[in-house]
Parts: sequence; structure tokens; C-alpha cells
Amino acid sequence: MKENNSTNPTGRVLNIQGYCSDDGPGLRTTVFLKGCSLRCKWCSNPESIHPKPELNYDAKLCKGAAACGLCLKAPFPKGAFYTVEGADDKVLVNWDLAGECTEELTSLCPTDALSMFGKLMTAEEVIAQVEKDTSFYRNTGGGVTISGGECLLQPDFTAAILRLAHERGIHTAIETAGNVPWEFMEKVLQHVDLMLHDNKLMNPERHKKWTGVDNKRLLENFKKAYETFPHVEFITRTPLIPGINADEEHIRAVLEFIKPYKNVIDYELLPYHRYGTGKYEFLGKIYELKDFNPPAPELLAHLRGIIDEAFGRKTQEK
Amino acid sequence: MKNVTKKIAINIGAGYTPGVNSIIMGAALAAQKLGWEVVGIQDGFEGLLFPDRYSDGGLINLGPEVIERLNPAGSDALGTSASIDPFHVRTENELGMIEEMDMSGTLLKNIQDEKIDAVISIVMGRGLSILYKLNQKGLNSVCIPRSVENDMAYTAVSFGFNTALSFTIDMLDRARQAAQSAKKIFVVEVLGEQAGWLALQSGIAVMADAVVIPELKCDIKKLGGFLNRKITTGRPYGLVVVAEGARFSEETLSTSTPVSSLKKSLSPLATGDEDSYVIHRSGKASELIATNLQQLVPFEVQPLVLNQWVRGGSATAVDRQIGLCYGAAAVRALDEGNDNTIVAFVPPEITFIPLADALNKVRTVPAHSEFMKVAQTLGIYTGA
Repeated sequence: MKENNSTNPTGRVLNIQGYCSDDGPGLRTTVFLKGCSLRCKWCSNPESIHPKPELNYDAKLCKGAAACGLCLKAPFPKGAFYTVEGADDKVLVNWDLAGECTEELTSLCPTDALSMFGKLMTAEEVIAQVEKDTSFYRNTGGGVTISGGECLLQPDFTAAILRLAHERGIHTAIETAGNVPWEFMEKVLQHVDLMLHDNKLMNPERHKKWTGVDNKRLLENFKKAYETFPHVEFITRTPLIPGINADEEHIRAVLEFIKPYKNVIDYELLPYHRYGTGKYEFLGKIYELKDFNPPAPELLAHLRGIIDEAFGRKTQEK
Repeated sequence: MKNVTKKIAINIGAGYTPGVNSIIMGAALAAQKLGWEVVGIQDGFEGLLFPDRYSDGGLINLGPEVIERLNPAGSDALGTSASIDPFHVRTENELGMIEEMDMSGTLLKNIQDEKIDAVISIVMGRGLSILYKLNQKGLNSVCIPRSVENDMAYTAVSFGFNTALSFTIDMLDRARQAAQSAKKIFVVEVLGEQAGWLALQSGIAVMADAVVIPELKCDIKKLGGFLNRKITTGRPYGLVVVAEGARFSEETLSTSTPVSSLKKSLSPLATGDEDSYVIHRSGKASELIATNLQQLVPFEVQPLVLNQWVRGGSATAVDRQIGLCYGAAAVRALDEGNDNTIVAFVPPEITFIPLADALNKVRTVPAHSEFMKVAQTLGIYTGA
């Protein structure tokens, strides 16, 4: 990996979301970066997976070929957009031929039906947006969280944002799945107060089946992180999906894994949701986990009870 | 100038369709007659992209002794892959990270190394775009239209449609009997994302009460009114056939719910209802119609989904003939120098349409087509 010595590196940002309450303590600004090293079938942020900017099409906003039709001709790529005779004349996207669309082109769409997921920003541009809400962070104990995609795929950029945040007295957190070379994680953790990290599946074969790679390296990374950065707090998380990992076996295996480390302060379960499925359509992709359902409240409560017991606290409503 | 094709490869695009063996047989027999060598690429392009994964090197010889043993009603000769796209091949890189790589260059090089002069691809609409892109990079190919929905323009019949139609009719007959026995209205969802041919033609064949196709927005209140007039205590059952890509009038669809802060936090760019745009979720159209009809008609309404059931089984006699014919025609296209085309049946002729012209052309049901008129004449509600 090429070393980036710049104090203000540029990175690929998907979105900056204010007033988030689930990405660490207090009210936070979450910076979603683009690019991920896993392909989890339940991913609710498909627009964050690929590192390059991607076309986004919201058919609801399209006025139709007769009223507009701008994207059906040059300078838009030939064959990228088309219509079919039918219920309406809204434009359709040929996703195989629309790959060359750029922000310059999509900005020509008068209704914003066409836009791009992802843009390049410098660390200073990001922190300028983040620090607008500094008063909220102070009042609520919040801060900034860098999420993804996988924020550790851009270690210099992520580290620079977090360093700038620390310089401004802002609490820092990252969300990561940990599937990166250790050097990437090590570089970023120097500027982190809290690391929220996934523990999707403890079984390596099942991890590979559902995410694309086994969990050997990421578990090694987590152990190294706990040991090398004792001042950093860690919260491990499982996106809980019935049929994949919503079982006692997985929960107990994670608890066993984190047990020796006092700086792992909590284990959270994130019940599976389908909030992201609509975006698959915006990207011309198919959501592969369409037949899976969120966990039942009783199951969730039972599994959370096991965690509470392990952490020596009374079972609480979450 | 006539091409000097000597070795051709055949592959199948993503998705299963019964009877693809017949296309392979047609092409292989026609090629043998010209003295050409024919090989099959296993699993889309994977046999050429990852030959090490196959004990036989990823290519299958399709000589006379192999063809002789093939079952023309089956589809087991070459296999398929989930994707035929060599421009985005999911791989694990040297850093142990998953990424989509452009392996089109590798594919073209391997085709050259294997001394393959042209590829015959049995594809659906999306496969056409991929083959077009490969053609732009130098691949000689002829495509064969394969669509159980019969939605590929320029050809009157895509391979696979007749088999799907026959099976759908069979299942609808059973649904009707079940509805009759249970005194219910069955709403049966069939394939058809953009085109409603399968729903319309099968609906006509079984004399359904109503057919809902993507080409016409459905107003469920009107549909309910029609069913209330037709379904009485003397005829206490009904059958509605709906294509999975059915569209609905604004009145039918509920307004989208605001996005909660939790939703924004978990999925920052989420908009509207969780599935509001996902038409790939099979069962949604029949569920929506059944749920809404429930409040409009005095009989119980039950949704049923045929979905992927349609893709299995054995090919019909019609599809076997079409398959043999299309396979042989693809070889004729190469022999006559009509590379980079798609085979099309424009009765009574077989013709070859340039790939560039066939892109993005979807064969939908015209509102005033003969099939629509027939349906209306038979008293089937279409919404037109």
C-alpha cells in the first residue's frame, strides 16, 4: 500500500449523516466512506460496497421520455438509458452500459432522478462539516464516527479525519468489520477512542459463505487491537439474522472470544432489518437475502439476556 | 468477405431454462457438417476464466459422440453460472479482500489461446449487453435469444417461452380447481418483469377472470368491482393471473412512510418503504393484489407464486424444435459472415439482427394487440 504522507489526504465519501444515535455514545455525525472488503449478503448499504462512485437512479423522480428524455441522447453513453412501451415512459437503465456515467453527466438530469453515490473529499472538508455540530457533541457526549463500507480501507484518510477531530476535542469512533491488513488498523487506532467492530460469524466456513472470506484475519486483527491499544474502548456487534447467526452458539462463541479483554466494554446485537433493500434497485442490483426476516423480539431478548449475564448486569430493555 | 471460422465455442448465460441441450445439438450438428470443431464453455464464461477449477480444463468437446448422447429436452450439457459478466468478476485479491475485477481481457486472451474463432451465446436480455461489450473489445459472437418471458424484441419467440407457458397453464389449471373447491379467489403470480406475455397468454388459455400485466397500471378498485360482478354465489371462485412486474395506480399504492432516524443511521440513504422499489422480490405483486382485494370482495383471496418453478422440467416439443433451429441458424450466421448478431425468428424467416440494434429492446404487450382483444372478447379483465 502506498504511504500517504499528506496531512490532508483525499478519500471517497459516500455520505455525512448528522444526529446519529446508534454509532457510539451521544449524538454523533457519522461519515460513511465508500468501498468494502466483504460482500455480506444482508448488506443494508449496497451503495457503500464499491470504491468508485456509482450511478444512482430513482425512477420515482423521472419525468419520462416525452417530458424530458435528456439522458436518452448524447452526451450520455449510448445504450445506457432506454424506454419500453408500457404503463409509462419512464427511463430505464442498462446497468451494464451505464458504467461510464459521471457526476458531470448526472448533474444534467433536471429532476435528480440520476445522481452519483460517492464523491471525493479531503479530510479537512470532512472535518469542516463534522465540527458544525460540536455543541451537540458536548451536550450529549457524542462525537464523530467513521463508518462504511469499510473505513479502514482508506487508512490515511480515516486517520487524518480522526486526528483532526481529536485536535478539536471531538470524541472519535470507527465502525469496522476488520478485514484489512493489520497495518491499516494499527494506523487508524492511534486516533480512536472507541472502536465498534462486527463479529458476524465465529465459524470460518459460515463466515466465508455469507461474507465472501473466512474470519481468520479479522479475528487476529481484533485480538491484536485489544492487546496493542489498551486505552481504546471496543464494542463488538453482531448483525443478528435468523438462519445465519441468531443462535446461542454464535453469541456464546463471541462472548468467549472477548472474555479475556477488559477494554471490550460491550457486545451489542443489531437486529437484521431491510431498510436498504430499496437501494439495490437504485443501483440495478438484486438483494440476495430477500427471503430472510428480522429476528423475533423474544429471540432477541433471550440472546441479549445471555450477553447481560456475561457482563454481570441485569437484563435490560434495549 | 466470408469469415474463416474453424472452431466455435458455445456457452449459456445466467439462469436455467429447460431444453438448452437442443440448441447445443443444433449448433454442433450444423458445425460438424461444415467440418468445424465445436467446444462448450462450462458455466457461462467460467470454464475459460478459471480453467484450473475444472478437471477437464473448463471446455467440453462437443463432437458427434457427445452430441449423440445428449437429451434434447434437458439442459445439463454445459451448466450455467450466476453471472456471465467478465467485466465484474468477484474475486479475493492478494490482500484477502473481496473486489470485482474486470477479467474481460483475460477472457479474450484465453479465447485466443484456445484458438476459438467465435462464441455462440445463449443469453437473455442482460447477456446481450455483455456480449455487445465483448464484441466492442474484439469478440466474434452470435447470440441466441432465451427468455421464458418472451420479452426479447425482434424475435417472435424466444427459446424457453413455450415450455414456461405450458407449465404455467398446467399450474393455473390446478389453481383454478383448488379455488373452485375452496370457494376462494386465487391470485397467481407468474414471471414477467417488464412484459406480460406469460401472464396474458396463460390467462387466456385457462380462461382466467383477470390478467394483470406490467404494461397497464392496475387499479385494484376497478378489478374488485369487476370480480364482484363476475363472482357470485352461483360461481363462488375466481382466478387472477398477475405478472411479477405488475404496476399499480397511485390510489392503490400507499404513500411512502417517512424515514426514521434509526433507519437513517443504519442505512443513511434509505428512502421510503423498505421494499418500495424492489420488483425482484417475488410474491410482492400477488400479495399486494390479494391484500387489497380482501377488502373489496366477499370471498377469501389467496396469493400464490409460481416464480422459479417455471424454470425447471423438460422442454416442450415446440421449444426443442426452436432450439435445434436456433442452434443451427447461429452456425449459419457465422458461416455467412453475420457475426455479432442475434438470431431472430420473424415468421416465416430466421434472420440475424446486429447486436447493437437489439440492445435495450423489450418486447412488451401492446395495449391494442390481438392477444389483448382476444382476452377482452373472452370476458377476461385486463384493465385496458
